[in-house]
Amino acid sequence: MRALLLGALWIHLASGVLLVGAFAMLLLAGQPRVLTARRWDQRLVAWARALVVVALGSGVVWLLVRTAVFENRPQAAFEPRAIAHVMVDTWPGLVWLARHGLLIVLGAFVAIRASVDERRNWIAARGEALLLASLALALVSASSHAAAISPGTAPSVAGDVTHLLATGVWLGGLVALIPLLRAAARDEGADARPYAVIAARRFSRVALIAMLLLLGSGVTNALAQVESIPALAGTTHGRLLLAKLAMLLPILGVAIVNRTRVLPAVAAPNGMRRLAIFVGVEAGLALVLVALAAAMTLTTPARHAAPVWPLPFRLSLDELLEAPARWRALVGSQLAAAGVVGLATALLVRRGRLLVLGGAIALVAIGAGVGLPPLVVDAYPTSYRRPLLTYHAASIASGVTVYRERCAGCHDARWLTSRSISRRHAGELFWLVSRGIPERGMPGFDTRLTEAQRWDVINYIRAAGAAEASTSLGGRIEAERAWMIAPDFTVAVGPLAPGALRDYRGRRMVLVVLYTLPGSRGRLAELARMYDVLWVMGVEIIAVPTQASPEAIAELGASPPILFPVVTDGAREIVAAYGMVAPGPHAEILIDRQGYVRAIWRGEGGAVQAQVEKLNAEKSPPPFPDDHVH
Amino acid sequence: MPVWQVALVLNLVFAIALGLGYAGWGRRAATLDRELDAARVQVERLERERQACAGGARAGKQQWGGRGVVRGVYPRLLIITHEEIRGLLPARTTSFRAASPALAESLHVGDPIRFSLRGTLADDVAVVAVERW
Repeated sequence: MRALLLGALWIHLASGVLLVGAFAMLLLAGQPRVLTARRWDQRLVAWARALVVVALGSGVVWLLVRTAVFENRPQAAFEPRAIAHVMVDTWPGLVWLARHGLLIVLGAFVAIRASVDERRNWIAARGEALLLASLALALVSASSHAAAISPGTAPSVAGDVTHLLATGVWLGGLVALIPLLRAAARDEGADARPYAVIAARRFSRVALIAMLLLLGSGVTNALAQVESIPALAGTTHGRLLLAKLAMLLPILGVAIVNRTRVLPAVAAPNGMRRLAIFVGVEAGLALVLVALAAAMTLTTPARHAAPVWPLPFRLSLDELLEAPARWRALVGSQLAAAGVVGLATALLVRRGRLLVLGGAIALVAIGAGVGLPPLVVDAYPTSYRRPLLTYHAASIASGVTVYRERCAGCHDARWLTSRSISRRHAGELFWLVSRGIPERGMPGFDTRLTEAQRWDVINYIRAAGAAEASTSLGGRIEAERAWMIAPDFTVAVGPLAPGALRDYRGRRMVLVVLYTLPGSRGRLAELARMYDVLWVMGVEIIAVPTQASPEAIAELGASPPILFPVVTDGAREIVAAYGMVAPGPHAEILIDRQGYVRAIWRGEGGAVQAQVEKLNAEKSPPPFPDDHVH
Repeated sequence: MPVWQVALVLNLVFAIALGLGYAGWGRRAATLDRELDAARVQVERLERERQACAGGARAGKQQWGGRGVVRGVYPRLLIITHEEIRGLLPARTTSFRAASPALAESLHVGDPIRFSLRGTLADDVAVVAVERW
């Protein structure tokens, strides 16, 4: 089913691209006056008629297969109701209708056998066909991966449209040029040689612009769809993109040879034939590129897929925190930078170019050899895997229990917060917890713990590391320095619909108050009096009883009235997670609007108002933290 | 008919069809959406007025239902942390006037309750009925 879908999509895209290119090439070459060139013009129009039929046919096959996939029943592909449902009730179906409507109009238009001898008629006929073909091709973007990007849908779709149309002009133009060059290369087609030379030169200039647009839009598309190196190297979508880039290199090589060697010698004997062969090779490779692009549209975009890291190592900038590694990396980077300067120089100088080039390459290699090894750390297939669970108090609390039962026997508290652990990616910890370290006698827990339990342990390890580092955090905020992510938690007040700490992000600061009665009563009364002022300053107070109780609100009593949220369900998990950074019968933790812990008062309340004023005065808030540890 | 005229007519037809499509369907769809929202609000308001009327209120008053937790109790005032009260208030803590002091007698801080509000605006509503949630 998937192969059929891919085949139909490839044929459909290729025919759309060839339609755009054929009419773009005709308009570039200009109205033909000589017989051979007129025959080429007629031949391309005849091809266009056939291509419209092929595009419509492959489009129908694509729709039928999509219907079967959509309904998850192969027989749905032959049920008119199911097909109509996909066409009318889904966005890709509506786009399909619009595109195929345009193709039908294009088919009718190119089927008209009217005289186009007059120049304006010829331009109108070819221009209209180009317009219709371009619209039909560009609309592919309306239901592509680019249209699913939000926010920033419009720039993404614009980039995708540019990519498609530039492909049409370049690849379609190449294929359209071949029959003209071959006809002109023959003795009986000699009358078209001047026309063919002009057409090839004009196309060469436009193809260069199209190629630059292709590269630019390709880079923006890749940034939007792939986002990271692990996604590029570790997902099917990313690897197809790498294959596309690998295929682009020989295409660019052939294009450069065409432009610099073959095209200037087109007037020489056999020059036309040689150009036709090279153009044919370039077009053949480009059609493979379209097949890879079609396959990419059928795979999950890399940024949404779980990457499987293919290498046994990765580079880690965290290693730069160690002085020896830092020095080696500095020396290596300077050598490599000198090598890059040498490479640029080699492009400019004429005398001794090979010598400069060789020296530059050697410098880059030595620089890499010196600077990179200290940054190399072990990596595993799950190194960049996104945790199954968010960084949540409930997960941390569950991790505490699992860790005590299964891990604490071998790993002491010092190991838990050691640098070698805190520098590991969460995905690497997941691999080590799941598979174990046999050479050190650590068993794998993939069959003893569920996946969720393993992520719980990793969330706990991260929280323990953060707690160790949080000793530097006190009752005074460090301006413009936010680093400690506040674990999310559920705010459940009685039977009301529960909220979450993260609901306050971007809206309010939160003062989490871990309290114990009766010791905290005085401070709670003080906070109750300050609540109005703090609320106006942008602070919500969330009180969490250390002695978790569903009757927590009633236990606080009626006087003074405490009106801020008091957690009555899930307090135990919150205390377990936040108690790691602020233990004791009473503690207060100030979380900024972005979701970072900025101040901690351990044992007693502090001058919250003054610290809130400082947070309100901060000019450049940090970005929102990721919900998952990494 | 010359081809250039055919192309011109074709493009004009496309442009006019797009324009008419937007004017006749796109704008109408947006208007219908707005009208539907207004009708929904009106129906909800009428339903609240019907409930208020059935409870003996005078014309023009509405009745809302809410769920919440009691945070403060005074003879003529109830402070309640409540969920969203559709058509009246978002989820928050609000002090409401009690229609009668008897309503507050059986309530304590921390009690989860269902309550009915009656009035014309958020500023003049009063709690007219309370039951245990």
